[in-house]
Amino acid sequence: MREIGRGEVGHPDAKRPGRRFAVGSLVLAFALLAAGGALGFVAARGPMTPANMSDRVRAVAVTLRCPVCQNLTVADSPSRLAQEMRATIARDLAAGRTPAEIRQGFVRAYGQWILESPPKRGIDLAAWIAPVLLVLGGLAAAAWAVWRWSAQGLTGRASVGAGEEPDQVLTSADRSLLERALAGTKEETE
Amino acid sequence: MNGTSPGSMARHPSGLDAAPGRRRRRNRWVALGAVLGGVALLTLLLSFGLSRDPTVIRSALIGRPAPDFALRNLDGSGTVRLSDLRGQVVVINFWASWCADCRIEHSNLAGAWQRYRDRGMVLLGVAFQDRPSASRAYLAELGGDWPQLSDPSSRTALAYGVYGVPETFVIGPDGRVAFKQIGAVSYDRLSEQITSLLPEPSS
Repeated sequence: MREIGRGEVGHPDAKRPGRRFAVGSLVLAFALLAAGGALGFVAARGPMTPANMSDRVRAVAVTLRCPVCQNLTVADSPSRLAQEMRATIARDLAAGRTPAEIRQGFVRAYGQWILESPPKRGIDLAAWIAPVLLVLGGLAAAAWAVWRWSAQGLTGRASVGAGEEPDQVLTSADRSLLERALAGTKEETE
Repeated sequence: MNGTSPGSMARHPSGLDAAPGRRRRRNRWVALGAVLGGVALLTLLLSFGLSRDPTVIRSALIGRPAPDFALRNLDGSGTVRLSDLRGQVVVINFWASWCADCRIEHSNLAGAWQRYRDRGMVLLGVAFQDRPSASRAYLAELGGDWPQLSDPSSRTALAYGVYGVPETFVIGPDGRVAFKQIGAVSYDRLSEQITSLLPEPSS
């Protein structure tokens, strides 16, 4: 924090980015909290319980992959096989079988392949955890990078503003250029 | 901030006190290694994922009890129940009159039927998503006198995980699915599967 104070002496503007950064972080934190709360609420409530039969069939059908299509669920595919799968689901629901039992029946025939999303156990758990880990890792890396850049910027300004040796913030190429120029002016004055 | 005194930070704008050049160089190697490792992992996953044919679904039924069914004959003459055939090798062939590969394999099925029908093998044809009149016309044209069954609303096909025709299942005398062929089946493949499941090796 002392660097910012010292930076102020040379550059009165140096204080403003700090405050803007703080306000920005606060807004971002609030936005993340609100989004997280909304997600948590929806996750805790679970999917709406479907009212009528076609909604109940659809609720099962969207979790199943259409076997004869690429990237279509049984609910969305117009193919005849998908139609018949929907009819099978409707018949099974009417017969009192639960959605989980019906899904299990399709898994027995077609394998895990038929499910739109992998089960949350075993090796398939990786598909659920990996995206969360990647997002958290990315956020951490971004936060670290931003923190490093802002720290560098402030100390860089501070060192110049405090009247330190300016060659500490120069590259070697710049430094040799500066030295040559200084030598030239020295020669002129002598 | 970084565990360094403000003075040293002021002298070294990188925020690193000892040998900043060497540490920066090491960080660069670490970053390069991370990027290369990520690319290698991605390449590995893609080479595995893209080398698999997404249209071929491995049957989940191999080694498991074959789903039972009771299906009417296409000509309406009676009902065939799978559980009644326990103890025999049962070959179930899903086909349709609109399916080109079914025509290709038809003679192979007929050959296997001729050779093994009296040695403990039953061949069953199941019409898949076909009009009964079209199925009957197809059979009248190509021949074949093994039982042909109709599967209204594809219940049995769905229970077997059929997603296209032709598909052929070979069920052992124990009632378990031993083999599944996706697409036209050759006579040799069919014959090999049947003989391996028949009680005594046929000569």
